[in-house]
Amino acid sequence: MNLERLTKAKALGFSDRQIAHLTGLTEAAVQAERRRLGLEPSYRLVDTCAAEFEAYTPYYYSTYDRGDDEVNVSERRKVMILGGGPNRIGQGIEFDYCCVHAAFALREDGFETLMVNSNPETVSTDYDTSDRLFFEPLTLEDVLHIYQRERCWGAIAQFGGQTPLNLALGLQQHGVNIIGTSPQSIEIAEDRKLFAALLRKLGIPQPPNGVATNEIEALAIARGLGYPILVRPSFVLGGRAMQIVYADAELTHYMRFAVEASPERPVLVDKFLEDATEVDVDCISDVGSFDRPDQGHSVIGGILEHIEFAGVHSGDAAMVLPPHTLAESVLDTIRTYTHAMARELRIVGLMNVQYAVKGERVYCLEVNPRASRTVPFVSKAIGVPLAKLAARVMAGRTLGELGFTAEVRTRYWAVKESVFPFNRFHGQDILLSPEMRSTGEVMGIDADLGLAYAKSQMAAGSPLPLRGRVFFSVNDQDKPQVAAVARLFVELGFELVATGGTADVLEAAGLTVQRVFKLLEGRPHAVDLLKNRDLQLVVNTPSGAVPRADEVKIRTTAVYTATPIMTTLSGARAAALGIAALRRNDYAVQTIQEFHQEG
Amino acid sequence: MPKRTDIHSVLIIGAGPIIIGQACEFDYSGTQACKALKEEGFRVILVNSNPATIMTDPEFADRTYLEPITPECVEKIIVRELAELRRLGVPANEPNGADRPHKLVLLPTLGGQTALNTAMALGRSGVLERHGVEMIGANAAAIERGEDRLVFKELMLSIGLDVPISGVAHTLEESRAIAERIGRFPLIIRPAFTLGGTGGGIAYNREEFEELAKRGLDLSPVSEILIEESLLGWKEFEMEVMRDKADNCVIICSIENFDPMGVHTGDSITVAPIQTLTDKEYQIMRDASFAVIRAVGVETGGSNIQFAVDPATGRMVIIEMNPRVSRSSALASKATGFPIAKIAAKLAVGYLLDEIRNDITRETPASFEPTIDYVVVKVPRFAFEKFPQADPTLNTQMKSVGEAMAIGRTFKESLQKCLRSLEIGRSGLGGDGKPWRVGTEVYGDRDRLPREVISRKLTVPNADRIFFIRHALRAGMSVREIHGLTKIDPWFLTQIEEIVQFEDELAATKA
Repeated sequence: MNLERLTKAKALGFSDRQIAHLTGLTEAAVQAERRRLGLEPSYRLVDTCAAEFEAYTPYYYSTYDRGDDEVNVSERRKVMILGGGPNRIGQGIEFDYCCVHAAFALREDGFETLMVNSNPETVSTDYDTSDRLFFEPLTLEDVLHIYQRERCWGAIAQFGGQTPLNLALGLQQHGVNIIGTSPQSIEIAEDRKLFAALLRKLGIPQPPNGVATNEIEALAIARGLGYPILVRPSFVLGGRAMQIVYADAELTHYMRFAVEASPERPVLVDKFLEDATEVDVDCISDVGSFDRPDQGHSVIGGILEHIEFAGVHSGDAAMVLPPHTLAESVLDTIRTYTHAMARELRIVGLMNVQYAVKGERVYCLEVNPRASRTVPFVSKAIGVPLAKLAARVMAGRTLGELGFTAEVRTRYWAVKESVFPFNRFHGQDILLSPEMRSTGEVMGIDADLGLAYAKSQMAAGSPLPLRGRVFFSVNDQDKPQVAAVARLFVELGFELVATGGTADVLEAAGLTVQRVFKLLEGRPHAVDLLKNRDLQLVVNTPSGAVPRADEVKIRTTAVYTATPIMTTLSGARAAALGIAALRRNDYAVQTIQEFHQEG
Repeated sequence: MPKRTDIHSVLIIGAGPIIIGQACEFDYSGTQACKALKEEGFRVILVNSNPATIMTDPEFADRTYLEPITPECVEKIIVRELAELRRLGVPANEPNGADRPHKLVLLPTLGGQTALNTAMALGRSGVLERHGVEMIGANAAAIERGEDRLVFKELMLSIGLDVPISGVAHTLEESRAIAERIGRFPLIIRPAFTLGGTGGGIAYNREEFEELAKRGLDLSPVSEILIEESLLGWKEFEMEVMRDKADNCVIICSIENFDPMGVHTGDSITVAPIQTLTDKEYQIMRDASFAVIRAVGVETGGSNIQFAVDPATGRMVIIEMNPRVSRSSALASKATGFPIAKIAAKLAVGYLLDEIRNDITRETPASFEPTIDYVVVKVPRFAFEKFPQADPTLNTQMKSVGEAMAIGRTFKESLQKCLRSLEIGRSGLGGDGKPWRVGTEVYGDRDRLPREVISRKLTVPNADRIFFIRHALRAGMSVREIHGLTKIDPWFLTQIEEIVQFEDELAATKA
């Protein structure tokens, strides 16, 4: 390839990968050729003045269009922080939060910090967040250039979500010092086989599972496990294409149309644990910094209990910190397992573990040796900046030195609720599923659990009603429990409204119910009542894998009429608790500084 | 005019949870404001229910309320904080406390529409007056003038600027009458006071019109919709303006939308600075921007003003203005290096633009308009794969969940950098060996796609349209033809053509 052609390609913005594919070379060969020809990007300043005046804030972009370069490399010890790129569902502001904390913490510890990110909406791309800002794509090619030119000491890949994590191995192979938990440990956690072996070694139960690279394998595994099963592609964040499957036909459809399975990108098949309670744990550890795994600390930042039962993506589920229904013995098991995994994986930095609890038995669903979506929430709830501590641990400090060696136990409650974009996508059903669809989250914090929940609903834009009518329509599995939940509302002075089957169950339990038509039975039906604002709360749980059209209509109408809706009975129970608390006494406000002080 | 000495504490309202149309750009703006005001020695009180934000970290404000952003809740906070100030011995908001800092003021312009709506509700219900709380950064009258579409349009006409023909309706009957008056489809429907244009849309026929009008009236908190002549296919531009109390005005950044009118700015590919206007046209737009911010009366802070230009006649109309820091402000800040939110916060407490130093140069004051010697491209990131039942057509209601930005010396370089930043598995505009999926069909990376597939993807705005411009060029369509289908300015198309032609040149070297 001649210099002139390569120079022009780079000036037109072609990546090495594009050039490689177009010319039939490998990416490495294109890179080597560029090196040989001395064709490297130059870095220029974003300085508000088109170089008219001297600039003091090192905010850079790369270009191949001009040779001159405005970077002066300093000799301080540099750590590169890899950001998360554009926000999308599953990877949002939480990861920007973590990256910003890493920059603050390492600057305090005397490092020079470099931020690489391509998302203009963030705090991480403010020129005063890091010592040097590179507004660049997060690809191997672009990141390596910066790392090598700046002669960095290390790079942090575990804070920006899946984007930098996907780059970690490639960067390491090119000589980048990925600080914190080793990419090998990350691989163990992400590779199903290695992970299963790890859990076996530690004696931690896992839902029965298998790995399929094609449809036939998937069907065979499903038969072995028995339905329902949970299927998903490997190496994704946000539960992309994750689904609960109840029958062969559904599985076949999934394998044919929903994923592109291959030996490199297999599909993970897990036995789905029905009615289990899910738990998220965020933990920080420095054990990997010591020679012996029994040295060092691993400290639990927070244990979060999901309000919805298993099957709802952890990014979508409402959560309570500390857990509100789990027995202390179960929590102790969770603690034991978490510490054991942190030691075994030689974690340096953050780790997130997801568990499912059924009775006394605790199953490990997955481990993510990185900053998780819940890190900012937990940090605010307990008053400890976990991401900051983790960054310092990754750069060589110990938790002992940093004074964080014991789990914080709060006496107040923090509830996380998710916020969804359903009002943007007309016709889209709003059911919660293993595929994450929320865009954001809110926190409700209070000394009273009910009030904390009520505040979270207020903050999420669907405040709980204090009086009025509650509409119930639940699936057959939920029917045995529905009367108990409905009774809570009756005791709070609400009137009940229900359709056919649900009304029968409620009446049989001695409750007074106003019957309304289902959509196809006649009018006025439930949707009429919603549109007339005659219903103040809707409890509607899905009837199996393929929801009926009339249910979908009820749920979407609730969204458009801004009527609060619960699609799980556990959510409805929490709502009753919140309403009761609001009616007992009005809520008060308090700063988090005060919450933290009071402990 | 130095900073005000009567202010003791500033209450900042954040934007709450991340939703489409209001994302983490308001964490960026709120964080900057907290830092700037603390630096100035004010006591900062913050309310934001979103725990994932940097600004709600305990050290960014003196008092952080992770509480719901509702008028009721913010009133509770005001009451509590006034009591707290009195406990600290400050004659809080008392008329005769004037010789020292004693006021608790409210800054609502950095937390997006949520903060602005909450503050306006508190103003209307008399809460602010009852507690003697002054709003800084923008006064209620200016916000109303900027946000009430009818008032805004009349104001624009009164200062000699052009606006689209339109009418405001509160009922379905009124809506029909306005549609009659404008007399032709398509018609644009925009509900008043909703976020990111929620509930808006384009109606091509009577039936769609009825449906959209009904929904818009439903969703608008004041049951009000604007019905407008269609500017579909016009070029769209944005100006980020700042103004101080001494009436100094500066343009921070000019932005051109690659996608013509009809696609929400948040869903458009945008380019800074403006690429396809002559200097004369740009200066006319700059003058108009200053006229708008003055007429609306935003005394201190930033505003975003949107323009449409008919490429056939050159007719320029004002679309709308946001009298606050917006999503475009974040982009403009990152594109220029000029920290809009920080400067807005300082202007709100009394400084003038020429009194604030530019951190980057340390020499020039904030009254210097930024100059840029590069091209910035922003491309939105969508998540339609998560909502398979929803319609993926782009229209005036924002649907993207994020965005990537890239900087380069030319539009071509920036565009390709931006496309490989998107995290959608592409390494540029194409030629990276990845197949293309169109519905259930899969095509090879360098396959020539059928023309009818391409035409469909060009005519109806969608998330992948940029890539289909490449397919169109590869299939032999001319820039003129593509312009006819997309109304995208031929200048941009010619740039893309250069990329595509060079892709072929590279491919020709393949052994």
